Amino acid sequence: MKIQAQIAMVLNLDKCIGCHTCSVTCKNVWTTRKGVEYAWFNNVETKPGTGYPTDWENQEKWKGGWMLDKSKLRPLMGSKTGIMKNIFSNPHMPQIDDYYEPFTFNYSILHSSAKFVTPPSARPHSMITGLPMEKIEKGPNWEDNLGGAFEERSKEKNFEDVDKQIYSKFENAFMMYLPRLCEHCLNPSCVAACPSGAIYKREDDGIVLIDQDRCRGWRQCVSACPYKKIYFNWKTKRSEKCTLCYPKIENGEPTICSETCVGRIRYIGVMLYDAEKIKESASTENPVDLYQSHLDIFLDPNDPEIAKEARKQGIPDNFITAAQNSPVYKMAVDWKVAFPLHPEYRTLPMVWYTPPLSPIQEEVESGKLGFNGIIPDVDMLRIPIKYLANMFTAGDEKPIKEALVKMLAMRAFMRNKTVEDNVDEKVLQGTGLTPEMVEEMYRYMAIANYEDRFVIPVSHKEYAFDVFGDKAECGFSDGEGCGSMKSRLKNLFGGM
Amino acid sequence: MDNFINNLLFTYLPHISMTLFWFGVITRIVKSPQSLQAESSQFLSKKGQRWGGNLFHYGILMVFIGHFTGLFTPENLYHMMMTTATKRALAITMGSIFGVSAFAGILILLIRRLKNKRLRLNSKPQDILLIVLLLVEIGLGIVSIFITAGSSIESYAELGIWAQKVITFQPDAGAVIAGHSLIYKLHIVIGLFIFMIFPYTKLMHMLVMPVAYFFRSGYQLVRRGFTKRST
Repeated sequence: MKIQAQIAMVLNLDKCIGCHTCSVTCKNVWTTRKGVEYAWFNNVETKPGTGYPTDWENQEKWKGGWMLDKSKLRPLMGSKTGIMKNIFSNPHMPQIDDYYEPFTFNYSILHSSAKFVTPPSARPHSMITGLPMEKIEKGPNWEDNLGGAFEERSKEKNFEDVDKQIYSKFENAFMMYLPRLCEHCLNPSCVAACPSGAIYKREDDGIVLIDQDRCRGWRQCVSACPYKKIYFNWKTKRSEKCTLCYPKIENGEPTICSETCVGRIRYIGVMLYDAEKIKESASTENPVDLYQSHLDIFLDPNDPEIAKEARKQGIPDNFITAAQNSPVYKMAVDWKVAFPLHPEYRTLPMVWYTPPLSPIQEEVESGKLGFNGIIPDVDMLRIPIKYLANMFTAGDEKPIKEALVKMLAMRAFMRNKTVEDNVDEKVLQGTGLTPEMVEEMYRYMAIANYEDRFVIPVSHKEYAFDVFGDKAECGFSDGEGCGSMKSRLKNLFGGM
Repeated sequence: MDNFINNLLFTYLPHISMTLFWFGVITRIVKSPQSLQAESSQFLSKKGQRWGGNLFHYGILMVFIGHFTGLFTPENLYHMMMTTATKRALAITMGSIFGVSAFAGILILLIRRLKNKRLRLNSKPQDILLIVLLLVEIGLGIVSIFITAGSSIESYAELGIWAQKVITFQPDAGAVIAGHSLIYKLHIVIGLFIFMIFPYTKLMHMLVMPVAYFFRSGYQLVRRGFTKRST
């Protein structure tokens, strides 16, 4: 057993209001530079929809993630030879139009324009060419709140095995928000596909980073990531990605997206796992079993044996304590209300999601009641269970149903308790919950205090080898080396 | 050609250009290793990049291997396997296949770079200069195939002798090819010019070809963090 710690995240989609605060604060901190105007390390998309970049979930097209080749795990793009033969031109790589052409408006015309009968208007200009654009065809959240025709939006992958035509009717429409960031996978396919060895996973906290000094711009990672969360900077011609705000995480602070989430939907905590089981887990034959095999990797930090072994293997005490209080562990393992996004990609993602509840369809209210007489049947929820299952459990409806029932039961129980002042344990029957668990779930998921949401240990930088080697360096510099990109280009050795 | 100029271009220029080449390559690798990278423009426009990029790169790789082995294998050595005539026939066939492939590729890449507004507006001077230089160089190389095919075996063998005299610092190297066609000579001079500017351009990406990828054990990479681990 090789115990490793990972900083993991859970997003409670039941509370996401799609305000994009996470995306905007992330953008302001990380991607306001030339070359990554189009990149959103964190983006929020409306589902059902094809998302950003368009159709990112379609791995027949992008070849992201892993596959089993005669029960041996290899990147879907190909083996090492298969990847290397495409190094001169990556046939699976999206181009900028698959995201959108970044634009700005020439506002200066509004006050510098000559006098006309009609007022001047600020036209959109491409941030790539600087030329005016006739029409903006696409944006980072083009399908916001079900924008666009159902025919187009419903081309997305999660509608597989769902009779989608009935959802094209206005009365049956459903929607949910899906905020997405790098999954900091346990079995990252971007790392696997990087021929230069520039992408790596950190041993301490499992954050996946791109070493900008070693990235040579072979761009295999862009297509290898099934979540399309590696962005190609078209100016520096190197890849960039979400860093899980590692400078903040190292100091025990949450990422900027989590910190600023107004809906308090994000949870960050430590997970202990057995690194030796990763390969076996990702190689599980049937995609439906991948969710369970992912759960099986995690170790129980409250088991004294595990804690002892972790300490023996050198996991710092504050990481073990954090793991014992991890909100992620509670939601993913104890309560099983959080799920990995698309486990069938076999990357073992570490940003998990709590599926959203949705309004009960009218038929229920007009007489057809679910079980218990209190909690409605989850099949009556507006968002089809199969749709959620395709997103979070490779199509297995059972765990999703159980999670939704738990959340409904929690609501009913707490409503009884706080409004009627009546503890009714009947609603918990068959959900596997106890009143104590419900109280705790309520504390974490409904109240969601800052200290409960973010349990992040401070990294032990004092043990860092050779910090003196780093003295007088320029520090964090947006991956452009010391000084700006411009000054580097003028360098005799940086190009002409 | 004037004796002095001939000597300058084909006895001394190769040394000057290789000196500049190695000086530049070494200083750049030592001073700014992080600046070595492929400068792919595929993300801005895919169109033509697949055919152009593949045809050019695979073609030029083979052409490079052909030039290297062809020019620097001593006569005694290759005579163990083949006659000079066979070697010439081999050079002509391989050269035409991969030379034309590289030429077609770079032509597509040039058209793509000039036609596509996004690419043209975001091209640095070196991007276009290098494509034009390589286009001319490969074009001359293809024309020289016809000259090789039409001239004597001795004249073909002399090209190798010249190259070997150059790298063994013989002062009469230039004289060997003094009587050769102007096409060869232009091909050599432009080639040496490309070597001279090589370290200061994106051509340096050749030197970071990620062959180490094949020797990585498994697929994943983990970097040691801050904490001391017993395992």
